[in-house]
Amino acid sequence: MYDNILIPTDGSEAAQNAVEHAVDLAEQYGATIHALYVVDVDATNLTLGTEQVDRIRQGRIGEMPEVQAEADEATGLVADAAATRGVSVEEHVTAGSPSRAIRNFVADNDIDLVVMGSHGRSGLSRVVLGSVAEKVLRRTRVPVLVVDLNDEDE
Amino acid sequence: MTAGIDVAAAALAPAQAGILPEGLNVSFKLLPAILVSGMLAIFLAIGYVFKVADTEGMWVAGRSIGNVENGMAIGANWMSAASYLGMAALIATSGFYGLSFVVGWSTGYFILLIFMAAQMRRFGKYTAPDFVGDRFNSDTARAIGAVTTFLIGFVYAIGQARGMGLVGLYIFGDLGLLGLSGYQSMVVAMMAITVGYLTLSGMLGATKNMAVQYVILIVAFLAGLYVVGFTNGYSTVLPHIEYGALFSELGREFSEPFVNQGYYLWIATAFSLVVGTCGLPHVLVRFYTVENERTARWSTVWGLGFICLLYLSAPAFAAFGTDLYANQIGPVYQTAESAGMTTAAGDVIVVLAAQLSNLPTWFVGFVAAGGIAAAIATTAGLFITGSSAISHDIYKNLINEDATQRQQVFVGRLSIVALGVITTLAALDPAAPIAALVSYAFSLAGAVLFPMFFLGLWWENTNRQGALAGMTTGLVIWTIPMINEVVPAYGILAEAAGSDEVLSATLAQWVPAIGSALIAVPLVFVVTIAVSLATPEPPKETKQMVRQCHSPEPMGQQQTAEDAVTGDDGPAPADD
Repeated sequence: MYDNILIPTDGSEAAQNAVEHAVDLAEQYGATIHALYVVDVDATNLTLGTEQVDRIRQGRIGEMPEVQAEADEATGLVADAAATRGVSVEEHVTAGSPSRAIRNFVADNDIDLVVMGSHGRSGLSRVVLGSVAEKVLRRTRVPVLVVDLNDEDE
Repeated sequence: MTAGIDVAAAALAPAQAGILPEGLNVSFKLLPAILVSGMLAIFLAIGYVFKVADTEGMWVAGRSIGNVENGMAIGANWMSAASYLGMAALIATSGFYGLSFVVGWSTGYFILLIFMAAQMRRFGKYTAPDFVGDRFNSDTARAIGAVTTFLIGFVYAIGQARGMGLVGLYIFGDLGLLGLSGYQSMVVAMMAITVGYLTLSGMLGATKNMAVQYVILIVAFLAGLYVVGFTNGYSTVLPHIEYGALFSELGREFSEPFVNQGYYLWIATAFSLVVGTCGLPHVLVRFYTVENERTARWSTVWGLGFICLLYLSAPAFAAFGTDLYANQIGPVYQTAESAGMTTAAGDVIVVLAAQLSNLPTWFVGFVAAGGIAAAIATTAGLFITGSSAISHDIYKNLINEDATQRQQVFVGRLSIVALGVITTLAALDPAAPIAALVSYAFSLAGAVLFPMFFLGLWWENTNRQGALAGMTTGLVIWTIPMINEVVPAYGILAEAAGSDEVLSATLAQWVPAIGSALIAVPLVFVVTIAVSLATPEPPKETKQMVRQCHSPEPMGQQQTAEDAVTGDDGPAPADD
């Protein structure tokens, strides 16, 4: 049924929450897990400054060890979870706007299922940030499993 | 106030609430409005076309930015409404004193070139507070750096808002929003556009199209100068020199130095602007990210060259504007019967000169659009720097270390809105002309950040205690004259202030807000050095990092001082 399952992750609790579901499915279908971390260009612009976006654009992300470490840590968490269940996993890092990058990744890599966490934001933070899960859900044609973060937190 | 801008300040007081440049044709003009909107649309479109591509895996190395383009980026980021409008304004209203801005703002780049550009590249950090925090191993230092960065963005942007408000009046007329005066409505509208532009450009992956912005602003300025000079018969091929012929008619402000503003104030202002240039976070970030040290140096040279194109032209533009004003509107300087030109008219002298030359509306609009481009580009840069100070340096590094990118976006966007709101409020009733407002930010950058960068890069024994003591000293010395001269203009402490609107005239004379770095910088150096000597030396790794920053041995393209110290050859492999 599923051969390639994509887990977009930002290392957050919400993303981590979805991993269990994905790994379980992957184990059942013998699928490969793709852990994808998107360096959000908008976030880079606002937090590290426009010059750093230029740097990314020039392909010099190697000069940004903290950004790379964060990406590796996030995809690493997924890889660890998969490894404990003996599921094969690939780690990917890309940059751009998260929902678009996820969509492009789906199209380019024969992904047949996306499993992603959602914060279930509401109020101001929803207005300001929107929901990546919602945008992915609306714009991709493959099945998307959205795992909401339990409301213990928000 | 005793100094600085008193020629204008005298005329300013009664008209404060409804700032209106006399002689400026305030009405909605279709063609200029289309020009300005079109220009913003072009910025966004270019950003969209050159959007950061979402490719699989890490990027394939893209095109790197060369010296010339980097220089243009430096020029566009640097030249704000203060350069485009404010510099000519101060030369027009204060004559010789205004030249301290030309001198200060260009000399700063020599210090940057010689002492800081390449060294900064070698240190290789993301933001100015990052440098301060990592160099001095202190979160408190990082926090002070971040707060200073935010404050600089705020104070600097007030001047930009004033510039946009005044020029906007020419293009869009009196909007009359909610009972605000025409100028105030325009400040609100233009700031809303700026914040909107910033949000949109962020979402489109459009960053700064600096080269385009530079070309637009320099073409607008030079075309304005040449056409005004030519149509009025002032100049032909070299207005930069030919304007000298007007000197005898312009009044003694031009021909007799130090008549209105003393020698001390001239030096204090120029000094503040020089050190401020070397401490401004939004200028310095450029050097962290250039390809290598050589590019860092050559971009500075090109940048300075591009900046000088405008700076050498500003005095001529001011002289033409002043003469046109005197012939068509009234006395420029205070006389028995007349208050002279207001600072508001001074701040739009560039646009006014084009309008008074009876040039077609679209052309005057083009000159005005250049001013708006300069203001929006710089404000965008300042707001981003301010938002990174809050979301990266304070939120991510000090409050929530596990913050995700999304949480940082949230904090970053809120900081930008907050900056937009406080800047708008402060600009509704600004305390001083554009150039003076901007100089307050330079004094702050010079007093607090410049000594930290300079000592941090060049004296390995500068330690945490020294840096903290030095930065605090700098902040205090900057704040005192601000309270003394600027705060009363906003109605706070106004009763305590004398008729000259300052709390202490003596203080204003010797530690003017516009040039407080002249006093602050030497003191901060002494305090930092003394405290550093009296307390334990910094750790060995820090010292090695500093040595790396000026070692004569070139470093690899992707290396920073930190890697060189830890022995890494470059980025760590992705999965170790």
